[in-house]
Amino acid sequence: MVNAIKGLFISCDIPMAQFIVNLNNSMPPSEKFIVHMLDSTHIFVQPHVAEMIRSKIAEFRDQNSYEKPA
Amino acid sequence: MAGGDGDKGRPPAKKHKTAGPARAAAHPVDEDDFDDADDFDEEVERETKKRDFTKLELKPDHVNRPLWACADGRIFLETFSPLYKQAYDFLIAIAEPVCRPESMHEYNLTPHSLYAAVSVGLETETIISVLDKLSKTKLPREMIDFIHASTANYGKVKLVLKKNRYFVESPFPEVLKTLLKDEVISRARILPEDSQGAEAFNISKRVSEIGGGHEDLLNGVDLAVAAEEKETHSFEIDPAQVENVKQRCLPNALNFPMLEEYDFRNDTVNPDLNMELKPQARPRPYQEKSLSKMFGNGRARSGIIVLPCGAGKSLVGVSAACRIKKSCLCLATNAVSVDQWAFQFKLWSTIRDDQISRFTSDNKEKFRGMAGVVVTTYNMVAFGGKRSEDSEKIIEEIRNREWGLLLMDEVHVVPAHMFRKVISITKSHCKLGLTATLVREDERITDLNFLIGPKLYEANWLDLVKGGFIANVQCAEVWCPMTKEFFAEYLKKENSKKKQALYVMNPNKFRACEFLIRFHEQQRGDKIIVFADNLFALTAYAMKLRKPMIYGATSHNERTRILHAFKNSPDVNTIFLSKVGDNSIDIPEANVIIQISSHAGSRRQEAQRLGRILRAKGRLQDRMSGGKEEYNAFFYSLVSTDTQEMYYSTKRQQFLIDQGYSFKVITSLPPPDSGAELSYYTLDEQLDLLGKVLNAGDDVVGLEQLEEDSDGKALVKARRFTGSMSALSGASGVVYMEYNTGKTKHGGLGKSKPKDPSKRHALFKKRYQ
Repeated sequence: MVNAIKGLFISCDIPMAQFIVNLNNSMPPSEKFIVHMLDSTHIFVQPHVAEMIRSKIAEFRDQNSYEKPA
Repeated sequence: MAGGDGDKGRPPAKKHKTAGPARAAAHPVDEDDFDDADDFDEEVERETKKRDFTKLELKPDHVNRPLWACADGRIFLETFSPLYKQAYDFLIAIAEPVCRPESMHEYNLTPHSLYAAVSVGLETETIISVLDKLSKTKLPREMIDFIHASTANYGKVKLVLKKNRYFVESPFPEVLKTLLKDEVISRARILPEDSQGAEAFNISKRVSEIGGGHEDLLNGVDLAVAAEEKETHSFEIDPAQVENVKQRCLPNALNFPMLEEYDFRNDTVNPDLNMELKPQARPRPYQEKSLSKMFGNGRARSGIIVLPCGAGKSLVGVSAACRIKKSCLCLATNAVSVDQWAFQFKLWSTIRDDQISRFTSDNKEKFRGMAGVVVTTYNMVAFGGKRSEDSEKIIEEIRNREWGLLLMDEVHVVPAHMFRKVISITKSHCKLGLTATLVREDERITDLNFLIGPKLYEANWLDLVKGGFIANVQCAEVWCPMTKEFFAEYLKKENSKKKQALYVMNPNKFRACEFLIRFHEQQRGDKIIVFADNLFALTAYAMKLRKPMIYGATSHNERTRILHAFKNSPDVNTIFLSKVGDNSIDIPEANVIIQISSHAGSRRQEAQRLGRILRAKGRLQDRMSGGKEEYNAFFYSLVSTDTQEMYYSTKRQQFLIDQGYSFKVITSLPPPDSGAELSYYTLDEQLDLLGKVLNAGDDVVGLEQLEEDSDGKALVKARRFTGSMSALSGASGVVYMEYNTGKTKHGGLGKSKPKDPSKRHALFKKRYQ
């Protein structure tokens, strides 16, 4: 019997994959979204989390970049 | 009008720690725009579009004129113009440099910069007419008004110490009359015995100064000291009232800030010190220029001279002392630089050994003779606690003496309250501050304007590089990706205190560092300094790579031994330094710096570290542009990507970028084909390292804190503290300060509240600022 799950395939670099894993771990059990960790740069996640991951990553990167004040 | 404090209507800088989810929602970031650099560029572009300069009117012969003047006080200078040199000298006198890349400089007119201009002898009308001559466009009305408004009162009044009598001097008798209407000032006035009435002032002729030189700028005539007779009016004031008079003249009261000058040639009271520059001491053009600003009219002005590290600040200091030829008190930041200053005095001047003395906790040399040079530290003078009998005697001497010149090194590292204390303790006719990095937006830096004096001269780093006076440095930022395991730990909440240790100990960073050390040692035969603020990392790196290291607790003997080996032995080519090496240790041999960890976002530290390798090396013709070696020094900053370090690193570079340096980003270090010859190749080794980092106590992995008690004994202990973002990033003057004991215990009172003048010792009543 084959189980088909609709999902989202994420391809990223190693640190970002770790970031997403960490994000997943910080969620309560009902909201965990990683379906399968394929390898260290590819992740299969539930389809509705794309926006959330994007905004979290944007926020994280924002924190690590410096903008020169005028 | 935009002031110097960055209030140009841009949104406030992103604050790292305050960036919460709410903020992210308020400023949605374009999803595709994850690249930091693009993000920044777009930001700037949007910003520029807001400014509309279409109203500026071009002059018909604008091609021949070098600069653009905008209504908001900003001035842009084309460095490729034939008039660049003259225009630069003029602009640096009247405006603050904002950013000085290769072809186009940006300056900003601020009230402070105009105050500095007036104090070196430029007059309002001269400033406006020269600016108008140099500008491609008609000078905007706003700018002219701003100059008038800012300079209306500056520089109109001078406080002159002549034959140990204080005079208030001004070319405008009406200004003096205004001042005398003030009760405090009129009471302080001493009427001359033969005076006919209160309205009469002493009138004297004096030689006018640089001012006239600028008129001839367009004819290509360099700044010359034009001799021009001028009348000045003056009245004498009671020495005991000097402080009160000065306070009345500050902008918040009468608003006639006083300039201070010292007529040292006519000072017959203080004994002369017989010292000359040795013939082999040849000041370079920019050193001459900075001195000419100081001695523009035959008197000595107080102020600050800004030169990059390695450009010969000490020669400027020694030359100034040689011109004034009076007793000189030289203040440095620590015992090592005290030794270096004493050495510089002996090296460049004909001063006899018995005329110079050092006063540090280990070295309490008595001074002999009537006049001499004393070299000491800020701490020794400002120390408020109990001293040993020896030092008490010496400090009494320092207090009792009237100093011709107070020479202050590295004025940017000393907090304002320490200055107040030092300046109140020592009576000096003239104060000269020297620094490489006057980080300008800092509130404490503006204090210096009134405590010491205006900025007299600031050199352009790139011009000095082109002239071969300082090394041409290739700056690079090496991006090291975090390994999977380290990044996973970095993200965990429970490791928040170990974040720094984790990104510094990133195995990829270690490998990049090892690769660079090998490359420079073996391929180029360079001498390398590796900087790490994090003691844990410093020890781990140095042990693993088997290199000598120096940090706060390293004894003086050990330091000397390691530095000697580094300078002389062909086998010791790399040393590891903690932040003790930032300022004080002079290592002229080194030409490569690898920075593996740093003090958060301190721009000052970045510039000071670069300064360690700026001293020019090799033959002059090779160094000149077009010579054999394009770059002869290398500055690498290793950064773990995706971590806080990226934020700090960009911030730290700002000062150097404003000086015209550019940072090259290197992403492929070590090269992909490198394998087990570099450490931490296998996963097992990496995990082992990770285990060590995680098992180390929080207190071990923190920053090194250096403390030096005020009588000079170095106490070193690790200490953690919580700080505000501005403090961590170097914007607040408290950070990156190595000298902070004593003030809380002993100096707490003295630093902020000036003592009641009536209770002050008679010696200080005379003059206090």
